[in-house]
Amino acid sequence: NVPVPARILEKASVVKFYIEQHFENLMKACYERNKRRDQLEIEMAKMDLTDVQKTQLRRILRMKESEYIRLKRVKLDKSMFTTV
Amino acid sequence: MSWIFTKGSKTFKPKRNIPEGTKQYQLKKYAEATLGSGNLRLAVTLPEGEDLNEWVAVNTVDFFNQINMLYGTITEFCTAEECPVMSAGPKYEYHWADGQNVKKPIKCSAPEYIDFLMTWVQGQLDDETIFPSKIGVPFPKSFQATAKNILKRLFRVYAHIYHSHFNKIVSLGEEAHLNTSFKHFIFFVQEFNLIEKKELAPLAELISQLTNKE
Ligand SMILES: [Zn+2]
Repeated sequence: NVPVPARILEKASVVKFYIEQHFENLMKACYERNKRRDQLEIEMAKMDLTDVQKTQLRRILRMKESEYIRLKRVKLDKSMFTTV
Repeated sequence: MSWIFTKGSKTFKPKRNIPEGTKQYQLKKYAEATLGSGNLRLAVTLPEGEDLNEWVAVNTVDFFNQINMLYGTITEFCTAEECPVMSAGPKYEYHWADGQNVKKPIKCSAPEYIDFLMTWVQGQLDDETIFPSKIGVPFPKSFQATAKNILKRLFRVYAHIYHSHFNKIVSLGEEAHLNTSFKHFIFFVQEFNLIEKKELAPLAELISQLTNKE
């Protein structure tokens, strides 16, 4: 079994770090999205709003969330990996 | 950068009821190494009110990035000499065709096949008419079909890595990362029925091992 060159180990450590961060962020994003949704309900309950207004506010939040994940869809291109 | 290494190994939990040192023990041990990343089943579910296409798109890009990076660490071991054909174990061999420019399947080495595949996927992801990135631009009607095709092909890279290069993954200490990435991928495609069961056959055993504990 030939030892793995340091250069490749270094590359692997960067990749591992990226993936660890990715999964940490994934869980955080999932939790925070639910929190924002619940927070809106709490805020709306305190205000004197009609059902129509509530539905509208929920729709706005969903739209913002959807736009946010679209912007998150960063495409890393191949050249970014060769420099790792 | 030793601080980078400290996290993944913590969640290493070998199964106790299989005698240590057997081949089965080794496989079990490594298949169970995942990052302590929380509930992946929950993370794949469609957020309330979210557009399914948007959700599939963002996740597909994430899977592509992860596979690209993981495969990137073993490219020097996946050579035309080592892997003269693109395979996932002795029973599954793949020939490249994209259905558009290449209609007649080409028999090629694994590195060539994976290069064709990743370049093709990148092309799809960069195509604004398929993966719109501007706010307000809708997805095309064919989006689900395209995404299924992309995911079906990305699966083959995971399958090749597991079947032909898993020992290198272990020597790079990446098994927990690969397993977590693959587990997320599998949970995702299962949740939305994105890959046919027969396509998943090369890793069927691993899939049941990774998923039946949740
Ligand atoms: Zn290979």
